[in-house]
Amino acid sequence: MASVQFKGIVKKFKDNLVLNGVDVDIKDHEFVVIVGPSGCGKTTLLRMLAGLEDITDGEILIDGLRVNELHPSKRQIAMVFQDYALYPHMTVEENMSFALRLRKTDKGEINSRVDEAATILQLKKFLKRMPRQLSGGQRQRVAIGRAIVRKPKVFLFDEPLSNLDAKLREEMRVEIAKLYQRLNATIIYVTHDQVEAMTLAGRIVIMNHGIIQQVGSPIEVYRKPGNLFVAGFIGSPTMNFMTGKLSLQGETLLFTGGDLKFTIPSFVLHDAKKHDGREVTVGVRPDDVLVGRTSDKCSDKVEGVLEVCELLGHRENLYIKVGETRLLATVEAFFDRSPGSAVSLCFNYANMHVFDKATEKRISE
Amino acid sequence: MEIIRSILEVTGFIVLIAAGVAALVGYLYTHFKYYDRGWFAWVALGVYPLLALAALGAAGLHPHSALRSLFFASVIIYAFFRYVVKGRHTVPYLLLAPAFVGLALLLVYPFVFEVYLSFHDLKLTTIMMWKNTGSIPFVWFEQYVKVFTTSPLSEVSFWALLGRTLLWTFSNVFFHVAGGFALALLLNNAIRFKGFYRTLLVIPWAMPQVVAVLAMRGEFHSQNGFVNIVLTKLAAAFPFLASLGVGPVQWLSDYPLLTCTIINVWLGIPFMMVVILGGLQSISSSYYDAADIDGASYFQKLRFITLPLIKPVLMPAVTLGTVWTFNNINVIYLVTGQAGGTEQADILVSALYKAAFTYNRYSYSAAFAIVVFALLFFISVTYLHGFDAAKEER
Amino acid sequence: MSQQDAIRRRKRIKYFLIHAVLLATAALFVYPLLRIFSVSLRPGDKLFSTDLSLIPAGATFIAYASLLRDTMFLRWLWNSLLITLATSFIGVSLASTAAYAFSRFRFPGKKAGLILLLSSQMIPAGMLILPLFLMIMKLKLMNTYLGMIIAYSVSSLPFSIWILKGYYDTIPRSLEEAALVDGTSQVGAFWRIILPLSTPALSIAFLFNFTTAWNEYLVARVVLFSAKQYTWTLGLFELQGQYITQWGMFAAGSMLVTIPVLCVFLYSSKWLISGLTLGSVKG
Repeated sequence: MASVQFKGIVKKFKDNLVLNGVDVDIKDHEFVVIVGPSGCGKTTLLRMLAGLEDITDGEILIDGLRVNELHPSKRQIAMVFQDYALYPHMTVEENMSFALRLRKTDKGEINSRVDEAATILQLKKFLKRMPRQLSGGQRQRVAIGRAIVRKPKVFLFDEPLSNLDAKLREEMRVEIAKLYQRLNATIIYVTHDQVEAMTLAGRIVIMNHGIIQQVGSPIEVYRKPGNLFVAGFIGSPTMNFMTGKLSLQGETLLFTGGDLKFTIPSFVLHDAKKHDGREVTVGVRPDDVLVGRTSDKCSDKVEGVLEVCELLGHRENLYIKVGETRLLATVEAFFDRSPGSAVSLCFNYANMHVFDKATEKRISE
Repeated sequence: MEIIRSILEVTGFIVLIAAGVAALVGYLYTHFKYYDRGWFAWVALGVYPLLALAALGAAGLHPHSALRSLFFASVIIYAFFRYVVKGRHTVPYLLLAPAFVGLALLLVYPFVFEVYLSFHDLKLTTIMMWKNTGSIPFVWFEQYVKVFTTSPLSEVSFWALLGRTLLWTFSNVFFHVAGGFALALLLNNAIRFKGFYRTLLVIPWAMPQVVAVLAMRGEFHSQNGFVNIVLTKLAAAFPFLASLGVGPVQWLSDYPLLTCTIINVWLGIPFMMVVILGGLQSISSSYYDAADIDGASYFQKLRFITLPLIKPVLMPAVTLGTVWTFNNINVIYLVTGQAGGTEQADILVSALYKAAFTYNRYSYSAAFAIVVFALLFFISVTYLHGFDAAKEER
Repeated sequence: MSQQDAIRRRKRIKYFLIHAVLLATAALFVYPLLRIFSVSLRPGDKLFSTDLSLIPAGATFIAYASLLRDTMFLRWLWNSLLITLATSFIGVSLASTAAYAFSRFRFPGKKAGLILLLSSQMIPAGMLILPLFLMIMKLKLMNTYLGMIIAYSVSSLPFSIWILKGYYDTIPRSLEEAALVDGTSQVGAFWRIILPLSTPALSIAFLFNFTTAWNEYLVARVVLFSAKQYTWTLGLFELQGQYITQWGMFAAGSMLVTIPVLCVFLYSSKWLISGLTLGSVKG
């Protein structure tokens, strides 16, 4: 197994800058998920690692070895493609053994490896079938099997679950997680789905516009999003954002944004004086918008009007309008108030995020 | 013995080419590093000249002159790769090289040669002089002027031929598309024996054209042809038809162009049918379901779904069909060309062929050919305006 | 109930009409071939008759026998077959690589190349005969197979390239990328992945090369001059051109030369529709 390093990677398609100086260190045995909206350059980064895309500038190291000029097959990687890319004219078995046959591996060795992979992925029944005779989930497994058989140093997954329906996607997600425990390999996984990223990753790399926004464990990026983009991208439902201005009232900071007014305690923002008059965006996750109840570290009451309720089962989404600002609160189920009624709510200080409006950087603790 | 020798001759040639290709592919296969494109140019420079040398040698060229021409070719190729390509696009150029070398030698060079001829005067009276001294009179644009002022045949003028050609092209392509479309629509139903019908319906295309055209010409023969036999029998059976003028017709001498058109329509429908059928089959049925729900009639579906959706298939087919029909010499030459046939059916290209090979006016026919080419090019470009077949690069 | 019956009846009438039209057209399309067959079976004294029956009275194979015995017909067939197969082999292999370059790479001159291919179709057929004739004469290849193969080898190339490019375009690129990761070279990916997947288009390209070369006679007329080297087209003209046309033998010969092309067509018929991709239906 191996480590992977990206050093100052730049990619240009003609005048279009796709990647702008990407630096990531991926350690041995790590499961790294690269996540971002479509067009953020995440797939390009993966394809550059695979050797399918020229590198405009910077270098990529696998196990400390520069691979920029290496042929894809010499990089000891295996890749699972978004559309699986199974060879339509070969059986499942031939698909899985293709790479080994190209390397003139010993027949017995090939058979045992294919057999092993097929057992892990429950594909033994399908070895003689053609790809077109398989369902989406089975094809997906064959694509993974083709990667496993090669025993690569690094596994690359390019949005592998995006062509599956919701239920299968959950199943495969669990399978991939199990597979990771079993193989104990370095895995780099690209997706646009933050749920996959949160559930699978050991570390998440969040990208936007060809730049890395934040790198960290799922819990880190969820609890302490480094900027506005990460805060909005990670977490479902999406975080509430309130824009406004800070002002110093004696010793405490007061946030004012339209009808919203609440103090921001010092354990959220140190150095109250420094922030006087600053334009900020305050982010609070729907779970931390408390409706009709309080906790000990909670902001002052804010009055709003309930617009829509959505019952999800054990939870309920409340869409509340406070002045001109719309907020989403997620509460325990059976919130028995009808739309149009007035509600009072407060924000949990423990999970409040404050971002500078201009730089979009996190300024709270 | 004779046969064995001929096998050896041809297989030898094929093996030669195959060996060259195999050597190249083999080398690339083993040594191709994704980023080491520099190697490629050198390999190519090694293999292609060897291949060319072998070919020239096989062609019986003196080794000395073969080597010299090869040297210049290599210098040009090297300069091309070194200064124009600069090593960036070596792979596609290498893949293209064999085909385009072939096209350059056997298509572009002859074309250029024709251009050369068209500015000179090569005809039966000057050909011996050309053979002996290697020079022919240079006449500027005289041949081009002649194209528009004199007749390539004995009487018909260029403009009459042009009108006839346009009429011929338009009517043929129209009936090809209409017939092909109708048959394709019928075949696109869920019916039994579909494969059987399809096989029978491509037979005019599958038959060798020479045989097909000559057979059809036989059917239009004034006494023994099927068409006239049927017409005679009809007239005999139904006297009122005869009074309307139905009866045997001297097809080949009275209506040669009509006869040629009928024959060519018969020949050309299967190709269009196959192309259109391919297009029809790839239209997703959900569009028709949606149209059914919207309450579209059969013809509305045809007009608003089928036609727009197969346009990307139809346009190149119609373009090619137009060009091929415009240039179609087979039918007209085979029906009317031999043994002092009529000139009433001649279109531009068949007149051109006759001018060159019946009347031996080589330079004149060269100028004529270039005018025809320019005309066709102009028409096609205008026609393709909006549908740029070359634009859809990926 | 009755409404359902009405619908069913209308459907039956519709299918009956479709079959009727198709059968009539098919008969019209096949008829000339059958007529040739019928003429080839006629005894010598009844060649010119107004009889329309397909198997004539007193049918014999005498025309076939005398064609094979008295003329060099078999030799002509053999010549044609050799030249055609060699031409098709060269044509398809050149087209398959060139089309790959057009389909998968971006390079300067790509558009110009495609336009060149398209415009090469506009060159009038008669135009190239004289220069080709002079070239083959200079190469001292007159009256040889080699001369014919060289003259024919690029005749169907533009169209083949066009068709193959269209087909390659429909094959997802990720297949080749997977092959690259698996350890093939770019050329290897082409050889092991793209070519096997392109069988339909390759057979169509082969079909076009085969029929073009098999049916050609304009070039053959000027390159070949001894009866021994004739292709069947020239041979048949010979039969037809004699002062008494040997109609029986001509018909028999026509039948015999039609058979190989029909075979190639039948063989490739299952790919005829999927392989002939001049463009694609999008959306």
